[in-house]
Amino acid sequence: MNKNIKKTFSYLAFFTIFMFGFSYVLVPLYDVFCEVTGLNGKTGRINVESVIENPSYRYVEVKFTSNVANSAPFEFGPNQKEIVVQPGKIYTVFYTLTNISNRDLVATANPSVVPGKYAEYFKKIECFCFKHQEIKANETKELAIQFIVDNDIPSDASSLVLAYTMFNITNQQLGYNTE
Amino acid sequence: MVTNAEHLDEHHKSGIMRWITTTNHKDIGTLYLFFSLIMFFIGGIMALIIRAELFEPGLQMVIPGFFNQMTTMHALIMIFGAVMPAFVGLANWQIPLMIGAPDMALPRLNNWSFWILPFAFTMMLSTLFFESGGPAAGWTLYPPLSLQGGNSMPFIIFSIHLLGLSSILGAINIIATILNMRASGMNLMKMPMFVWTWLITAFLLIAAMPVLAGAVTMLLTDRFFGTSFFTASGGGDPILFQHIFWFFGHPEVYILILPAFGIISTIIPTFARKKLFGYDSMVYATASIALLSFIVWAHHMFTVGMPLAGEIFFMFATMLIAVPTGVKVFNWVATMWKGSMTFETPMLFAIAFIILFTIGGFSGLMLAIVPADFQYHDTYFVVAHFHYVLVPGAIFGIIAGVYYWLPKWTGRMYDESLGKIHFWLTTIFVNVTFFPMHFVGLAGMPRRIPDYALQFADFNAIASIGAFGFGIAQLIFVYIIYKTIKNKKEINVDAKVWDGAEGLEWTLPSPPPYHSFEEEPKVE
Repeated sequence: MNKNIKKTFSYLAFFTIFMFGFSYVLVPLYDVFCEVTGLNGKTGRINVESVIENPSYRYVEVKFTSNVANSAPFEFGPNQKEIVVQPGKIYTVFYTLTNISNRDLVATANPSVVPGKYAEYFKKIECFCFKHQEIKANETKELAIQFIVDNDIPSDASSLVLAYTMFNITNQQLGYNTE
Repeated sequence: MVTNAEHLDEHHKSGIMRWITTTNHKDIGTLYLFFSLIMFFIGGIMALIIRAELFEPGLQMVIPGFFNQMTTMHALIMIFGAVMPAFVGLANWQIPLMIGAPDMALPRLNNWSFWILPFAFTMMLSTLFFESGGPAAGWTLYPPLSLQGGNSMPFIIFSIHLLGLSSILGAINIIATILNMRASGMNLMKMPMFVWTWLITAFLLIAAMPVLAGAVTMLLTDRFFGTSFFTASGGGDPILFQHIFWFFGHPEVYILILPAFGIISTIIPTFARKKLFGYDSMVYATASIALLSFIVWAHHMFTVGMPLAGEIFFMFATMLIAVPTGVKVFNWVATMWKGSMTFETPMLFAIAFIILFTIGGFSGLMLAIVPADFQYHDTYFVVAHFHYVLVPGAIFGIIAGVYYWLPKWTGRMYDESLGKIHFWLTTIFVNVTFFPMHFVGLAGMPRRIPDYALQFADFNAIASIGAFGFGIAQLIFVYIIYKTIKNKKEINVDAKVWDGAEGLEWTLPSPPPYHSFEEEPKVE
């Protein structure tokens, strides 16, 4: 084989491998991009120690809703449909999860905030999301979420919707926790 | 002149082993072309099953699950089995002849890139006989649906890996050939347009196919190894797949059309008997289309919920592609302007290509408009759009190329009157099939659905009739090829088959000897 051809071949082979790697780099890039832009309704998170309560004198409506993914045998919903909150003040609300099957199951929930551009101002202090919830047959559990709406939330935001989707992950226990 | 028959016997094995062990670019080109012809008919039968079901509303022929398998497989077969191998086949035959090289740069690799294909497609097609059926989530394999499918999924992913491997190796070979083996005197800006478009296409392949391989590997590990790239329950995001997929997918659509641009740029000057108008601008236009193709992917997913800034960016970037594409179209028209044109079959297909591809380009421009796309998204309008750019685009380009070079390859002229019949039937039926799809799409008929509302019945019936007409017309094509190839003794064309043709390939006798350009030709 001609030397130049060999050289071209190695460059191109390297480029191929680089592009394969690049497809994997797109995954963290996408997460960073979503975090920076607040896309996909990825909610903010805050530690309980760093929370300083400083209620502002305005009100934001927070509505709660829920989904169950892939017809999993759960009954899942918020205990209250909506509350009016003051930004800068800590609130705790509950969702109720019932296993309506006769098997012990493992569940996990994903949060999402709409409109996405305000998602970063919705900060969870304590949340059941992404945690594996073991739930026995026909058991009912209350799941708590403690949150604070950031004082910096733009003044045109009058209402937020927090949605949880509950997944049955009994058969895919390998899944890792991202939070 | 050494006669072809003698030359063949001296140099290689006969029978099946000739084809399995061959490292000759002409043999491999032929293998690719026949393979893609077979795949074209397999994918075509699937299309006819789809159209038969859609002939009238309601469910008559197939169950919806099988219908979904047909739409998925039709796309995979046509893209990876028919169009891409056909272009690689043409590249194998023509690039060494056009640049004055004795063979491809990496002949053994060339053999391997072809012989991966039959295995990949055997694996892919075998899924149709599984109890759980073939893949039914669409060729785009969007999760979560594709993660919930039957056992076909790992087989489809492995066959996509093999297809990717085959086309990457093919692309590396083509680049290595073009960059290192041109006859002396042929600098880059003297290369024939077909060689240029293939050089750029090959770079697109190397940049895009590994990304697809990565995306489907992530699907595979999500399904079987507990990762959560796209599974929402583990914190993954299904939308991420769409971004990665279309980061591959949009360059892919140019992979499917740029070589056709090259073929058309070769044929139009021959039959207009003028030099290609604006050669340099053609090269730059092709390169800019290729570069732009990497920053427009999200126009396939305007409705997933992107920020306004993103939608506007992708809208304008997409519309920008119309500029270099317009340059190409105007250059073709300018090449024909005041030329002494004749209308042999390859020229007819080339002219039809320009007109019909432009229609597809315009509907693409309509789809690029974000507010309009929210209405058109996932309707038959999209189906009409991409079939207009792929059938009278890519496929017409391939057919035109085959008619144009077949006399060179075989030494015999194809049957011109049959060729014209093939052209007119194909062109009429392609429009009968796909034009009504614009109307039902704008009226809101969703794609990938086996049943539809009554008001779409008439246009769907017309489209189905067109599809069967189109399918039958392609049998004429097969017969023309058979008729041209079968009579091996008789040679009835000159070295320069077409009097307006230019380029090194026409300096060789027709058919070219098995080993051509063993002595380097001179380019002035």
